[in-house]
Amino acid sequence: MNNGYIIQVKGVHKTYDTGKIRVHALRGVDLSIKRGEMVAVMGPSGCGKTTLLNCLSGLDEIDEGEIIINGHHIPKMSDKQRTKFRADEMGFVFQSYNLLPVLSVVENIELPLLVSGVRQHDARKQATSALELVSLSDERDKRPAELSGGQQQRVAVARALVNEPAIVWGDEPTGNLDSEKAMEIMKVLRRLNKEKGQTFVLVTHSPEVGDLTDRIIRMRDGVIESDKKNGHKVKNT
Amino acid sequence: MEKLFGIPIDALMTFLLFIFGLCFVTLVVSALRNKVMFKIAARNIPRRPAQTMLIVLGLMLAAMLFSASFSTGDTMTHSIRTIAVDYLGEVDILVQSEIEESSGQSAYFEQSQLGTIQQALNDRNEVDGIAPAIIERVPVVAPDSQLNEPAVDLIGLDSQYMGGFDSLLDEDGDKLSLGDLESGMAYISVDTAEELEVSTGDSIQAFLSPEPTLLTIAGIYEKGGTPSEGTSMVMPLSEVQTLMNTQETINIILITNKGDAIDGAEYTDAVMTALETTIEGTTLEAEPVKRDVLDAADEAGSMFSSIFLMLGQFSIAAGILLIFLIFVMLAAERKHELGIARAVGTQRSQVIRMFTYEGVLYALIAAAVGSALGLAVGWGMVRIMAAAFSEMEFELIHYFNPSSLTIAYTMGVLLTLTVVAISAWRVSNLNIIRAIRDIPEPPKAGKSSIRGLVLAIIVPLLGLLMAVNGIQQEEATPYLVGGSMVIVGLSLLARRFRLPDRAAYTIAGLGLLVFWLLPRHPLIGEMDQGMELFFLSGIMVVAGAVWVVIYNSDILLSAIITIFGRFRGLTPMLKTAVSYPMANRFRTGMALAMFSLVVFTLVVMSLVNHSIGALFDDSERLSGGFDIQATVNYNNPIPDINTAIEEAEGINLNDFEAIASISGTAMEMRQANTDQEWTEDPMFLQGVDSQYTNSVSYEFSKMAEGYDTTDQVWQALSQNPNLAIVNPVVVPSRVNYNMGGQPPPFQLEGFYIEDDALPEVHIEVRHPVTREMQQLHVIGVLESTAIYSAMVTTSQNTLNSLLPRPLTPTVYVFQTADGSASDIAKSLEAQFLEHGMNTTVIEEQIDENNRVGIMFEYLIQGFMGLGLIVGIAALGVIAARSVVERRQQIGMLRAIGFQQDMVQRTFLIESSFVALLGIGIGAILGYAISSLVVNDMSGTFEDAQLIIPWGRMIMIVGIAYAASLFTTYLPARQAAKVYPAEALRYE
Repeated sequence: MNNGYIIQVKGVHKTYDTGKIRVHALRGVDLSIKRGEMVAVMGPSGCGKTTLLNCLSGLDEIDEGEIIINGHHIPKMSDKQRTKFRADEMGFVFQSYNLLPVLSVVENIELPLLVSGVRQHDARKQATSALELVSLSDERDKRPAELSGGQQQRVAVARALVNEPAIVWGDEPTGNLDSEKAMEIMKVLRRLNKEKGQTFVLVTHSPEVGDLTDRIIRMRDGVIESDKKNGHKVKNT
Repeated sequence: MEKLFGIPIDALMTFLLFIFGLCFVTLVVSALRNKVMFKIAARNIPRRPAQTMLIVLGLMLAAMLFSASFSTGDTMTHSIRTIAVDYLGEVDILVQSEIEESSGQSAYFEQSQLGTIQQALNDRNEVDGIAPAIIERVPVVAPDSQLNEPAVDLIGLDSQYMGGFDSLLDEDGDKLSLGDLESGMAYISVDTAEELEVSTGDSIQAFLSPEPTLLTIAGIYEKGGTPSEGTSMVMPLSEVQTLMNTQETINIILITNKGDAIDGAEYTDAVMTALETTIEGTTLEAEPVKRDVLDAADEAGSMFSSIFLMLGQFSIAAGILLIFLIFVMLAAERKHELGIARAVGTQRSQVIRMFTYEGVLYALIAAAVGSALGLAVGWGMVRIMAAAFSEMEFELIHYFNPSSLTIAYTMGVLLTLTVVAISAWRVSNLNIIRAIRDIPEPPKAGKSSIRGLVLAIIVPLLGLLMAVNGIQQEEATPYLVGGSMVIVGLSLLARRFRLPDRAAYTIAGLGLLVFWLLPRHPLIGEMDQGMELFFLSGIMVVAGAVWVVIYNSDILLSAIITIFGRFRGLTPMLKTAVSYPMANRFRTGMALAMFSLVVFTLVVMSLVNHSIGALFDDSERLSGGFDIQATVNYNNPIPDINTAIEEAEGINLNDFEAIASISGTAMEMRQANTDQEWTEDPMFLQGVDSQYTNSVSYEFSKMAEGYDTTDQVWQALSQNPNLAIVNPVVVPSRVNYNMGGQPPPFQLEGFYIEDDALPEVHIEVRHPVTREMQQLHVIGVLESTAIYSAMVTTSQNTLNSLLPRPLTPTVYVFQTADGSASDIAKSLEAQFLEHGMNTTVIEEQIDENNRVGIMFEYLIQGFMGLGLIVGIAALGVIAARSVVERRQQIGMLRAIGFQQDMVQRTFLIESSFVALLGIGIGAILGYAISSLVVNDMSGTFEDAQLIIPWGRMIMIVGIAYAASLFTTYLPARQAAKVYPAEALRYE
């Protein structure tokens, strides 16, 4: 495999067995993503977008194939190693924000740092800086429930970026927001992608979101249907 | 057990069954009319088996405690009844002379009086037999085995009258006939035979007088020979009369009613009425002994049940909170489906019904499980009590009455049903949209509602009225409850004027804590305090502390993070674990209250018992400085104990530092200068000699004016006539522990044991036959540790001045010089065998009593510890619910790097936090209340001080904490196993 890519995926299969029905969610996915790229994964509901994201990020296991993230073979790692790897190398932004309702904004953001063993004092400092990046410094002591949806998603973005991960995964990051708020979030992500050079992989239904990425991967029935960069097709390695 | 809290068991059962039936029929009719709602309710139960088990566990507790309490009461009643039947057999009524001989025993009377009694009862078909008898307690020696028994009941019976009474039956069930006995022969009981190691044909010596009578054992009976305790012997009446030189006289007439040994008692009233008119004007008196003993058995049973119910009420209160919590959480879990149900047209009343049906189904199962488990718990408790009582030679026989079980079951179901109905009403009040979209409920609009305003005004006003009433009536309960209502009510009122919740509840909580925990209220020292104050104080201080903690959780949170935050790996788990419970005030508050309540009771019981126990551990203080107590047979007393010891072999006066004698007789009593009636039954007046007053070390809790030292009181009692000292039992206390027991038959009035001074008090004593009367000035009240003292004590000179002839002492107390008290006691028994001397080594007896006391202490703590099930179940329910509720958040935590074990530890830390906080609150409040209780005891126990049994405290905390971890371990493991990809998909 080519080491120039941060994400390299080959022949990935994933099946869900619900007892009565077997769902073949991924049917041999091949994919490579360069460092610093912002990629949108699009396709109809049930096409395997979220499954692909979960498998790539190590949240889910695959049945067959290879996934190499930043040089690490994810399927060969134990749950413990994958979890540690996520804490060190990855950030997540989810559709429903998934902030802890009982922690304040700044506490939510500093949580990944504390998990990685950063001192409380340093974690707070970094969390405060991350809040500045998403322009929410004034809301630091509020609880998530006191913020609007857009603000909550900005907090989730700050949390995803606070430990400066190599890759940020977004599962419908604008799915719960109106178009104006969605664009606002995407602009923030785009800006951070440009400034920090981190890789973003975003699962989305939204063409507007796709338009703001470097590359759009379209999926259907568990396979990649198309892969275009700014409207141009790129060849998988 | 025939009564509970004074209510006849049958009446209580009928009432409860009626209410239960009414509720049941109503619910069945309602369910038939709302079949869909009932189906939903019924199908909800098996949805989550583990949760159902936890719910049943929590709901069963009340029924279990009821059942266990009743079963101990039933056992006590049954055991005492069994002893009564063993002792009395078929005998229901005893007729004796009301005249006492100098020995203190009832005098003999003409046998011809039997005819009068027979005539009076001739046409009473309730009577099955009337028999003349002589019963004397005599020392018996077996020359062959060299063994003796100092107290054998010698029963003289006439075979021609014994038709309706128990027959003498040997071990094979064969009848032993009195008619077969020749002169110089006797039948003896199995117990007597075992004590003396003799068998049929052997000889024994009975000391009916100073000279022994040689008798041959003609047979050994296993049944019959009543009324008597275990060691007895039966001879023909005429022979006993000859031996005792009491021809043509007897000292007792036995009457048996028709029916068996127990049922016969129900005719007692009718027979007594007929008897009383006959014996009126004679010197005879009739005693309904069987009925009295059965009543006493019922009373003891009722008292035991009441004690355990009283001790269990904290657990029951915690159980009520648990039921409420469970249903509120069930509603939270089903919020979405309830919202949908309401959206498609389900009425609010139908939602209430649905929850009530479900609650009733749980209650019916849980109360059945609880009642059955309660029997098992009761059986365990009886085993422990039996071990304790066995040292006192009292055999406990486990027993339960089906009526008690029915009451436990119906009470358990009805209690749960009530709480379920209230919970259902509360949870039915939901906003449909918020429920469907799972949006949190906004804060309650209580601040602005009219109902809230009315409540905020009424509560403090009502409280004020209650408090004033309490002050006027000198009753602590209405004063303290009223005062608490004023504190809480004013805080509620302040919320109306925009005082933030945090400030309002903190002020209310602190107010309650200060009000109930102040060392001495300005007024309360003068007020009467009942046992209910223990329960109320626990509820109030726990409520106050929980409010303060819950509404100031941020301070606590910062403190915890500051302290433990330095452990880097711990910080993220700690933050998450502590933030969740602190953010959910209702759940955490409920769980905290449950834990705190139960730990509070355990700590209070442990501290108070231990502190009092320490006072009773000092045998020198309890014994009055005496080492041996001895009694001799009244038929053969010792004229002069000092001379007798001097003349005895193997023992001499140098073995003793003091030898004192005690005599006593029954007198009618009343307090002078009051409107008290004479006591219904004569009371024991004890007379002590100068040796006693010179050597006794008992102290006084109060002394009359003019007496400054203990010694002055004892010397005055000895030297001056017409003085008395009293045991604190006869002095009323402001603290009334009414457990269903009878008040003392004689009690002084006009002052309390808690008062500092002893006012001028005189007791009038009157001889029941001669009517000779004397007034005694009470110059001291003994300390409560003077357990070997009589209710009223005077000098022997004063006592004898009231009697036709001086009493010969039959009780002695000895202070030994050197050597073992046990050996000296054995020597005394051996030397004064023919006098039937029976000795007790006081220190050994005190140790034995303490061992029994400690066993009971553990039993009570174990029983109260059952309440921990509530707190533990609550934590389990909360943890299980949290795993479901936070599934997505757990997924997110796993995504950002929480390892599986971190998730598990987070849940365990969360439960530990609530459990330890609850345990801490309970322990601190328990300590504070115990200090007050022990301080209040200083009126009764001068040296009472709070002693902390650290080992036991650590055990209580350890068990409570370990058990809470145990129930949250499974949900925590479940949380750790949540698959992140699945959880995050769970939108």
